[in-house]
Amino acid sequence: MVDFALLHRSALTGAKTGAFGATSTGSRIALAALAEGHVLHLLAAHGNDDLQSLVSQIGDGGPYAVRAYGPGQWFVVGDAALSAADFSGKAALLANKASIADQSHGRVRIGISGASVEAVLAKGTAVDLDRASFAIGHSAMTLIGHISALITRTGVESFEVMVLRGFAESLWDDLIQMSLEFGVDAKTAD
Amino acid sequence: MASLITCSHCGPRPKEEFTVKGDAAIARPAADASEDAWYAYVYLRDNPRGRHKEYWHHTSGCRRWLVVERDTVTHAIYAVADAAAQGETA
Repeated sequence: MVDFALLHRSALTGAKTGAFGATSTGSRIALAALAEGHVLHLLAAHGNDDLQSLVSQIGDGGPYAVRAYGPGQWFVVGDAALSAADFSGKAALLANKASIADQSHGRVRIGISGASVEAVLAKGTAVDLDRASFAIGHSAMTLIGHISALITRTGVESFEVMVLRGFAESLWDDLIQMSLEFGVDAKTAD
Repeated sequence: MASLITCSHCGPRPKEEFTVKGDAAIARPAADASEDAWYAYVYLRDNPRGRHKEYWHHTSGCRRWLVVERDTVTHAIYAVADAAAQGETA
């Protein structure tokens, strides 16, 4: 018998929402808590670094579902929750070429967009975010301030930031702070 | 963020993303080597001035071990390579 009911809630439920900072309208930043569907962590077995085509089958077909961030290391993300059967089906595809770990409840995605989004993120990371070197679909694992995060460009003026769940609200507050000079609209799921 | 290390997988990144381990030039002695050889391997380190090879871990990036050749006087970085590429790690 369970002594208490586990409460399922998204990591950013209690995060700050609304409009903050400058009142200009031209280059406002939009901050959005994204669906906590699934996040899978893939690590290639030794000598199997070149699994790109196999790993792409693990994704749900979304445009930026598979995110490489180092040799033989990927995150696969999607908006839909995975059942245990879905997960074991994906694990079977990889057989013993790579290991797969379900991180769906461990990492959270935050969408950030706006004309000045590169200037905002550049306050926290030294990664060159210029589109010439950081193309749409490209990912980079880096630090934003002192918080480790995976940055993915999803459009000309939009990025996704994936962060460990426990750091999500802290990073959310930091991103609002970094966006104040442009004005920011922060919106969680509800 | 002054000191940039050009990771062979991630490109230029600030040193804050890395963890330094130490001298990459020392060789592990054979298992049955003398106590002196093991003592030197575990404890004794030079404090070189000038060019120096070190192990750095890209902790907040690709999490790979790198061998970075740098100058301890000028902080110039001369070369960066994945440690596994040299056959030194699994």
